Amino acid sequence: MWRFAIQNLVSRPLRSLLALAGLSVAIAGMVGLFSVAEGIDHMVHDTFSRIPGLAIMQAGAPIPLFSRLPASWADEIAEMDGVRVVNPEVWARVNVIEGQRVIAPPRFLFGTSIAERQKLHKDVYRDAMVEGRFLDQNDRHKLHTVISRQIALDHDVTIGEQLTINGDRFTIVGIYHCGQMMLDVSIIVDIDVVRRLTRFDQDSASAFYVEPDETVSNEILAERIRETFRGREIQAAGNIAGAITTGNPLIDLLLAIQNWIGSGSQSNNSPATAATAATAADQSEADQSEADPIEVRTADDWAERFDEFSSDLNLFLSVMTSIGVLIAVLSIINTMLMSVTERIIDFGILKANGWSRRDVMLLITCESAVLGLAGGVLGCAIGWLGTEFVNTTWPDRLQLYASPQLLIFAMVFSSLLGVSAGLYPATWAMKLSPMEAIRRG
Amino acid sequence: MGEHNQHAPTNHSIEIENLTKEFTIGPTTVRALRGISASIQAGSFQFVLGPSGSGKSTLLYLLGALDRPTAGSITVGGRQIDQLSRDDQDQFRRHEVGFVFQSFNLLSNLNALENVLAPFLPIGISNTLRQQAVDLLEHVGLGDRQQHRPAELSGGEQQRVAIARALLKQPKLVLADEPTGELDHETGAEVMGYLRNLRDEHGTTVVVVTHDESYIEDGDATLRLRDGLVVS
Repeated sequence: MWRFAIQNLVSRPLRSLLALAGLSVAIAGMVGLFSVAEGIDHMVHDTFSRIPGLAIMQAGAPIPLFSRLPASWADEIAEMDGVRVVNPEVWARVNVIEGQRVIAPPRFLFGTSIAERQKLHKDVYRDAMVEGRFLDQNDRHKLHTVISRQIALDHDVTIGEQLTINGDRFTIVGIYHCGQMMLDVSIIVDIDVVRRLTRFDQDSASAFYVEPDETVSNEILAERIRETFRGREIQAAGNIAGAITTGNPLIDLLLAIQNWIGSGSQSNNSPATAATAATAADQSEADQSEADPIEVRTADDWAERFDEFSSDLNLFLSVMTSIGVLIAVLSIINTMLMSVTERIIDFGILKANGWSRRDVMLLITCESAVLGLAGGVLGCAIGWLGTEFVNTTWPDRLQLYASPQLLIFAMVFSSLLGVSAGLYPATWAMKLSPMEAIRRG
Repeated sequence: MGEHNQHAPTNHSIEIENLTKEFTIGPTTVRALRGISASIQAGSFQFVLGPSGSGKSTLLYLLGALDRPTAGSITVGGRQIDQLSRDDQDQFRRHEVGFVFQSFNLLSNLNALENVLAPFLPIGISNTLRQQAVDLLEHVGLGDRQQHRPAELSGGEQQRVAIARALLKQPKLVLADEPTGELDHETGAEVMGYLRNLRDEHGTTVVVVTHDESYIEDGDATLRLRDGLVVS
C-alpha cells in the first residue's frame, strides 16, 4: 500500500513537489522560530549551569553593569556560614577597542579580585582557558588582560600582543572560550585596574559572586544573605533599571526580559492589583521585598524565571507558526483534492476489483502522510541547516538552537498534519459510487 | 488460484427479480431498469444485448454489486447480493467477481504485473500470488510485457492485462462491459476467446454486454434489453 501511495505521488511530480515545498517551508519556519526561543533558553541554562554560585547585585539591577554595592559588604558575606569565597566584581562597558567604536556585540571590562578568584573551586573563565594563562597575583595593578577567543579573532590579536581598550593598552596574557555569547563578552582585568581606569568608586563593587561551601542549600544561603542586609540603604545613582541599552539586540532583549520579570514579580504591589487582591500577608511580603537593597540570585532562580518567559515566547511563536502551517495544510488539502478528482476513475476501478471504502481512504491517507513525513524531514533539515548557518555566520550575535526534541516534534507534527490534511479528500473519495466513477471514464 | 475464492458458493447461477434502478439527475429521475426479471445459469456464456441507454451496463454493475437496485433483487449462488453489507459486497467483488471494461480501466502509474495484482494490494501480495500473476500474463501472451505501463501497451494488450487481472482471483463470475468495444474485430475475437476458455476450463459464468452480435455463437444465452425492459 505504501509503495503504491509513493508511486501515485511520484507519478504527479510537479504537484507533489509543490505540496512538499509548501510544507517544508512551513516546518522549516517553525523550526527556525522555535530555535530562537530554544536558543535563548539553551544559552541561559547553559550559562547559569556554569555559574553554580550566587550572584549578588543591587536590587532592580538587570545585570551587574548597572549595579553598585558597598565593597565592604563582601567581608560581611565572607564571614557567613555556608560561604566559601566572595569575589567582588566591577563591570564597565567598553566603548572603543583599537580605535573602533564598540556597539554590537557589546564588550565589558570585567574587573575581578585576583586573590579571591584564585580561591574559587569552579571558575567559568579559568576553566575555559584555551591559550596562555589566567590572571595571577603578578597581574595585580597591571594592564594585563584575559580575553575571549572571539574578541581575539575580531581584532586579530593573540597572547603577548597588546589591545587598546578605551584608550588604554592592555597586554593579553590569556584567551578563554566559553562558547556562550553571554560569557564571551568579558575582557577580564584586575579589579583595581578597572576601578582606576573607569573612575569607579574604590569602596564600591558592581556585584559579588559567592561560591557556597555546600554545607547549606543555595536557597537557604541566599535567604541568609538577604536577611543580613535587609533594611540597609545603598547610596547609588538613579533608577538603574530604567531605559538601558547595550547596543546588542539580544542583550537588550534579555534586559527587557529582566525588567519584565521584575515588573511581573512586583505586580502584586501595583495599585490595581492591590485594590482587588491584596492581603495583609501579601503587603507584608511586598514591604519586605522593597526593603531588600540587594538581590541574591541562584542559577535556579534564573532558570525558573526564564522558563516563565519562554512559555510566553513559545505561545507567541506558536501563533506565528500557525499561519505558515495553515497555508501548508491548505496546500496539502488542495493537492490531495486535485489528485483525488483526477483519479475518480481509478478509485472506481479499485472498488470494482474489491477495494473497500476503507482501503481507498487508507491509500489517500498514506499518500498525504508520505507528503507530511517527507515535508517534515525536509523542513527540519532546512530549519536545522538555517540555524547552523546563522550560528556560524554570527556567532557572537545570535545563538539559535534546534534541539533534537524540537526536530522530532516538528517531524511528528508534520506527519500528523499530512494525515489530517488528507482525511477530507479521502472521505470524499470514499463516498464516491464506483459505478458513477467508472461511468465517468 | 483457488485460494482466493474458497468461501464462494460453487454454483453461481443468477436470479434477477423485478429489478428496478432509478437515477436522479438534478430534477429528473431516469429509470434505467424497469422491473426486469431473468435467470442466468451457472457456467453459461451470457450476452446482454441492446442499444445505448437500454440499461445493459447498469444491469452489469448491479450484478457485480457496484451499486444497489432501487427495487427488486439479485441472487447469485443463493445469496441475495443487494442485501449484503458493504464489507461483504467488497469481499464478493474481491474474491468472486472479475470485471472487464470497454476502456480497459488499467491504472496508468502501475505496470502490467502490478495492474494484475491491484485487487490484492490492500491485503498484501504473497510470492505465490505474484507468480500466479506472472503465469497469467504469460498465458495471455504478455510474458515479456510485465513491466510495461498501460501507455506502452496496445489496446488489445491492455485488454488482455485487464482479463488477467479478472482471472487472478479465479472468479466464478466474470462481468465484461463491451470488452471488444475499442478493439478491431480480430483482436476482439482473441479477447472473446480468452473469456470462452475461462468458461470452458473453469466453469465460470461469463456475462458480456455488447453491441456486436457477431461474437455470439451457438449455445450462448442472450438477453435483450430496450428502455430498461427485457424484450427477449
